[in-house]
Amino acid sequence: MNTESDPVTTAIEEISTRSDAPERSARASATSDDSLHEQLERVWRRRPGVLGRLASTNHKDVGLRFIVTAFVFFALAGVLALVMRLQLAKPGNTLVNPDLYNQLFTTHGSAMMFLFAVPVMEGMGLYLVPLMVGARNVAFPRLMAYAYWTFLASGILLFGGLAMNIGPDMGWFGYVPLSGPEYSPGKRVDLWSQMITLVEIASMALAVDIIVTILKLRAPGMSLGRMPLFVWTQLVTGFMVIFAMPAVALGSTLLTLDRLTNVGTHFFNVAEGGDAILWQHLFWFFGHPDVYIIFIPATGFISSIVAAFCRRPVFGYTPLVLSIIAIGFIGFGVWVHHMFVTPIPDLGQGMFTAASMMIVIPSGVQIFCWTATFWLARRVHVRTPLLFVLGFFATFVIGGLTGVMLASVSIDTQVHDTFFVVAHLHYVLIGGAIFPLIGAIYFWFPKFTGRMASEGWGRVSFWLLFAGFHMTFYPQHHLGFHGMPRRIYTYGAETGWGYLNLLSTVGAFTLGLGVLTFATNLLVSLKRGPRAGPNPWGAGTLEWAAASPPASYNFAYPPTCHGREPVWENPPDAPVITGLSTDKRELLCTTLMDAAPDHRYAVAGNSLWPLALAIPTATALITGGMFHPAGAVYSAVGVAVALCGWFWASGGRKGQEGGGPLTKD
Amino acid sequence: MAKGDVDIAAALVAAALAGPLACEREDCELRVDPSDAEPSLATRTSGLYPGPHAEDPSHLVRTALAPRPLVNQKNERNAYALSEGKRLYSAYNCRGCHANGGGGMGPALMDDGWIYGGKAEQIVETIVKGRPGGMPAFGGRIPEFQVRQIAAFVRSLSGNVAGDAAPSRDTRGHLGGWVIDPQSIKPGTRMPQHNFAPEDLHALLDYLQSLK
Repeated sequence: MNTESDPVTTAIEEISTRSDAPERSARASATSDDSLHEQLERVWRRRPGVLGRLASTNHKDVGLRFIVTAFVFFALAGVLALVMRLQLAKPGNTLVNPDLYNQLFTTHGSAMMFLFAVPVMEGMGLYLVPLMVGARNVAFPRLMAYAYWTFLASGILLFGGLAMNIGPDMGWFGYVPLSGPEYSPGKRVDLWSQMITLVEIASMALAVDIIVTILKLRAPGMSLGRMPLFVWTQLVTGFMVIFAMPAVALGSTLLTLDRLTNVGTHFFNVAEGGDAILWQHLFWFFGHPDVYIIFIPATGFISSIVAAFCRRPVFGYTPLVLSIIAIGFIGFGVWVHHMFVTPIPDLGQGMFTAASMMIVIPSGVQIFCWTATFWLARRVHVRTPLLFVLGFFATFVIGGLTGVMLASVSIDTQVHDTFFVVAHLHYVLIGGAIFPLIGAIYFWFPKFTGRMASEGWGRVSFWLLFAGFHMTFYPQHHLGFHGMPRRIYTYGAETGWGYLNLLSTVGAFTLGLGVLTFATNLLVSLKRGPRAGPNPWGAGTLEWAAASPPASYNFAYPPTCHGREPVWENPPDAPVITGLSTDKRELLCTTLMDAAPDHRYAVAGNSLWPLALAIPTATALITGGMFHPAGAVYSAVGVAVALCGWFWASGGRKGQEGGGPLTKD
Repeated sequence: MAKGDVDIAAALVAAALAGPLACEREDCELRVDPSDAEPSLATRTSGLYPGPHAEDPSHLVRTALAPRPLVNQKNERNAYALSEGKRLYSAYNCRGCHANGGGGMGPALMDDGWIYGGKAEQIVETIVKGRPGGMPAFGGRIPEFQVRQIAAFVRSLSGNVAGDAAPSRDTRGHLGGWVIDPQSIKPGTRMPQHNFAPEDLHALLDYLQSLK
């Protein structure tokens, strides 16, 4: 790296010559490293006890909470899928009745899409982005904590509802008029639409948090062109969330207003001049970008894993970044391909077919860049995380090909609402997002916990998941071609679907065994795994420069960045940040494009206000949206109180709400 | 973090333990007993009926010892049954004579007066057998489970069923439309048009909605 002409190095030198900075760094060097660590730990750690946990605003605490909670929902929704597969294992089965079956597939779909896939990707971003950009926390720590509590509330609402026989039963995309008051009486759809609104609040809050963290808190020197690909994917995903989620939150609110007896609007009531297709547009304007919101972070995992195990930067940084951005844009222009059987003008059908096929181009560019990385690598180290990436290639390419088939109107109308669509969507979502995600969990598990997961059991879990997955979903392509509709609770023996369904059920249980192996491996390794150093894989991004698990403040001396893989490329004498306060939680803000040091910024410390705000938020939606609109009005009092507490002026003490004096544990 | 996970797990377990609170309001009986799917005939004398489940003899004989409960309680507490009743009320053109419960050619159903009795089994009998003075007999034309759903809905019109299960979208505006411009809602209806002052109209609607 040519440091002489580097404007950022100049800027770093400038900031270190500011009036108070030399004094501070002098003080830092006067004290030993140990007392610096102790001082930082005192400021940045969470308070002990249950209340301390509830008040934590550390991005690693909350990020892990998001990941673990989302995986709990994943497991629950997976169990529902196993029950469905058992029901379909043979013709005329009577294990579950049609009413329960409707609730099962709706809860499964809603939980997987809303409570697992999006939150887990954002949780990974929450944990890793600040580490990768060399920051000590996210930009808005309390917003992040608030997002977690609303997310948790929505998950409890959905699964609690299913346990109380109020599970939604109209399919995860809640089409009106089926989900309207005439055909979905009771509280089931009300519960679903409040769950949607709550979880979208969480997603949007996190997106804002991650975007600002990326744009303003990058280590000096990490210009946009040096950002790790993972961080690029999180940035694009964040913007997609901000543009996509309001559509479905609006839709769920309109649906609530239509359904509430005391409000009774007619947005979707055709009999009174409403528009049922409006719902589909609102939903899919969110729903299809959502697929990329799930897939794009997964490409970030893949780039990180491929670079680490090929021991070289990923080939084609610029085309990869451009294709991520291109997917982000084109992803908003394809939603009508879910609606080809509604009356869409021919021109519209053509346009959305073209856009749906066009998205193959940037996806293909990504695949070729990764392939080229393997080709150019001197040696490829095939460890568990990389196995999952290889599994991704095999699976996602098949899912992509059926996606091109479904983009064609003529094929789509033939197989619409059949198991072919079920097979396709599981190939792209499990193949495209869950395989890389599980690989990423294995990859960053040493960073999260300080211990290595078992390699042998990791391989076992991969082969179980891979074989189980294809055994489950490949036969469903054929079932779809043979006319088996999705969402039927049983079928007659004369259809001849029994054999392939049984195969699919056996596969589903293999898949379940794979998930169980994966979970057991992690739980056992958490206690017994060998200790991991800071950088067990020899990877190049900044999170590997922190300890494993990272200290509460991430870096005692936040690093600067001199290349796209700073751990590999930074010179040994690369400057570090020393001017930050050790008395309060202070971050260094840098400029948007070049990441030149700009100013110091104190972030909020531990706080219970996010929880105090999330409770009336959830109460407002649940009481107001499910029972009587007055519930929202009364809960608004709680919201107002919590917001006053949240925004109460701290009188210059911002960021000093730390963990307090260290006690000997 | 491990303790935090335990907290989360505890919350989920608590949610699962709320399961016993399951309410029959939400049940959806999407597949009815084959005997109920038969057109209702008031003269049924035997519990035997044909059906597809020949391999399971318990379906063939509904024991005469346990007569069919005529009280329609389950339907009256069940949101799905009431909603279906409301849909069928329109589909079988009950509203042709009874309008939306306010009455037309036929008597009003949303007041508290009953000519032939307002109990569930009496309403079922009225629908199946018909009544003198114009009420046709629908026996043999409407499946039995639907008759009971309609009866439950009819009782909901006069506020005789649980409020939290009653069907929605009978809005104030819809009701007001019937008072001030009935032709716009049901062309050709014999309900006369009434011109109320706004405050009088609202007082009337308050009263009408209180009946529900």
